[in-house]
Amino acid sequence: MAGKTLQKITAKHKKGRNLVSLLKEVQDEYGYLPAQVMTEVADSLDIPVGEVYGTGTFYSFFSTQPLGKNIIRVCKSVPCYLADNQSVITEIQKQLGIKPGETTDDGEFSLQLTNCIGACDKAPAMMINDTVYSELTSAKISEILSNYR
Amino acid sequence: MPEQQVVLRNCGVIDPKDLSTYLARDGFEALHKALAKMTPQQVTEEIKTSGLRGRGGAGFPTGLKWELAGKASGNHKYVICNADEGEVGTFKDRYILERDPFSLVEAMAIAGHAIGAQKGYVYLRAEYHYLLDLLENAITQTKKKGFFTRQGTSFDIEVREGAGAYICGEETALMESIEGRRGEVRYRPPFPPSQGLWGQPTVIDNVETLMNIPPIILRGAEWFSQMGTEQSKGTKVFSVSGDVQKPGVYELVMGSSLRELVEELALAKDTKMVQVGGASGRIIPYAKIDTPLAFETVLGAGAVIVFNQSRDVIDIMCKTMEFFAEESCGKCSPCREGTQAMLEILSRFSKGQGSGKDMETMKELANAMMLTSLCGLGQAAPNSVVDTLEHFTDEYQAQIKNGV
Amino acid sequence: MNTNTIRVTLNGTEVSGHPGMTILELAQENEIDIPTLCHYPGLPPIGACRICVVEVEGSRTLVASCHTPIAPDMVIHTHSPKVLEARKVIVELLLASHPEACLVCDKGNLCELRKIAADLEIGLPRFKVKKRYYPLDDLSPYIIRDLTKCILCQRCVRACREIKKANLFAVAYRGFHSKVVVDQDQPLDKQACQSCDVCISLCPVGALAKRDGENASQETEATMSRVSGFGTEGVV
Repeated sequence: MAGKTLQKITAKHKKGRNLVSLLKEVQDEYGYLPAQVMTEVADSLDIPVGEVYGTGTFYSFFSTQPLGKNIIRVCKSVPCYLADNQSVITEIQKQLGIKPGETTDDGEFSLQLTNCIGACDKAPAMMINDTVYSELTSAKISEILSNYR
Repeated sequence: MPEQQVVLRNCGVIDPKDLSTYLARDGFEALHKALAKMTPQQVTEEIKTSGLRGRGGAGFPTGLKWELAGKASGNHKYVICNADEGEVGTFKDRYILERDPFSLVEAMAIAGHAIGAQKGYVYLRAEYHYLLDLLENAITQTKKKGFFTRQGTSFDIEVREGAGAYICGEETALMESIEGRRGEVRYRPPFPPSQGLWGQPTVIDNVETLMNIPPIILRGAEWFSQMGTEQSKGTKVFSVSGDVQKPGVYELVMGSSLRELVEELALAKDTKMVQVGGASGRIIPYAKIDTPLAFETVLGAGAVIVFNQSRDVIDIMCKTMEFFAEESCGKCSPCREGTQAMLEILSRFSKGQGSGKDMETMKELANAMMLTSLCGLGQAAPNSVVDTLEHFTDEYQAQIKNGV
Repeated sequence: MNTNTIRVTLNGTEVSGHPGMTILELAQENEIDIPTLCHYPGLPPIGACRICVVEVEGSRTLVASCHTPIAPDMVIHTHSPKVLEARKVIVELLLASHPEACLVCDKGNLCELRKIAADLEIGLPRFKVKKRYYPLDDLSPYIIRDLTKCILCQRCVRACREIKKANLFAVAYRGFHSKVVVDQDQPLDKQACQSCDVCISLCPVGALAKRDGENASQETEATMSRVSGFGTEGVV
């Protein structure tokens, strides 16, 4: 465990009572919320580990299981559904060989279906990490994914 | 009524990265006026008189909210900008933040002056993380110019990010999230203006609501209240999506017709129904396309999703209820259990396995959820089901097993 | 006239209460029985079950009596048709996701959910949802947890935190899949539970039980008396 990084993260958010922001940094640093790290966070904030776990498992962008280096979140809400997000999802599944909720064997990509990300004027849309890709078609997927390989 | 540019006045005109372009268009004149020439009570009174109501969906009178927070006792009051914008089909706040973050910063500082708060938070949804730098840059430039310091006190704004939870757009769940906890809804009373963030008097306003503050201060409450209808003053920014040729953001005077928005501006054709207010909104069948858009009639936060004749009502209802079932915080039984139960019935209808009794059951379930849920999510989740049961009964009946 | 008195109309009768009183407290003082599940005297209210809702004239929704304070001139109806209809649906919903194991459940006639369902004359629920299936948590030598029966009233969470100050429980996940957990969703195996049955005494359903079936320990009896203000005979 990168103990020193965790110390830095904890120190930064301890005063502001900022468990959610802290967990976000842990998620960014480790790619998920490892059980051992959650225990250490609880210890240094002097709160029950159940509270850390309960908070960590509430939010969709946190994961207690390891995720791929790049997280693809395709929007499945109604406006993107009307704009045929299904062909985008099918294409990604074909290219990466994984279904929503899964991670590629090489650990490069995770695929998730997410709820409305606010890009409905340019539907269908998805996020890869923090970047939003919109006005998607199955034809555009190859090129977008190649940016991350 | 033609499109207006009150909230969107600077969008596409200024450089959102450069404060000087904002200053060139009366930027921060309103804050200067409020600090130099108006008492906190006068600022609040101006907002009250304008008739401005919240633009995040609930439509609570903004001036009244500020007045309650201003009068409440507390050593550390807070102004929160709700930039969680999770409602399906809503992207107006995203559009505004992308193009005019300075107006938001100015508005929050004015609110701080009005209620006596030194600290503001912008709660930015995780999905808008790419806007974080733009927003923080606007705050930093404002601070550097000294606009936050006044007569011994100062104001500051911090951006807090969400982590993927629609319920955190609900004001009490939002505060729970800022306090570092699960986004579980709090019961009310007490209301945030008397006991909010960390128990202190807190004002929580939507991005678009705040965008109206500088123009009201500069041009006056009377100017603002001359636009709109009896109970809905000013303009409204709509985000139109779905089966339209020109999806996007449109600002219209309150009371404008739905037809003008979706047909004349967004170029919808063959429309079957329109959902106004996002997933928790009301369904307007095409026969009622001339309905005016206002708090008195139908509005929500301004998400307008258009469905053409090819769309299957039950299918859309399943997707809608799936959304609520996933996003329910889980604290209260009518919502936690009710969204699941409603979804189960709708799924059976989608497979042609519905029954006439089911339709009655859905109405009673909807009623119970609307009357007893702890917050707006559970209360509004059944809205579109109730509306489609009324206006598209035949589509439900077509899915009844053996016609029973 | 005492200026601290608040006058309201309760089921057609004018009654008075004091500032800070909840509608539930006022009703209890006037011998009106409003059913509750997540509420427990001595614990801070949470407003989760929504069973205790009542009608207040002028309010768009029904309000939960356990946490809504009385206000001057409130007109309250605790058992109107509107209230009873909504209450029935909520209980039906809770029964729908509850295991159909009443006949073999050790909670028996102490089950508060069963009692409320019987009082409201509710038969089989009209709703069908997937039950929550969790393996039995019986690693602890002291407490058995069957979370398939949990109705998420959070009494155990609040009691362990407020009364025992042990903070062993937390709520995890979200929505329908919310769960009362210990640590990182691990079995409850804590020494602190040896002489404490507080959570078991408060659980309205059969989700929590003592392992050896003995009566509540003396320490718990004293705690519960103090907290609830009642004796512990037949704690319901």
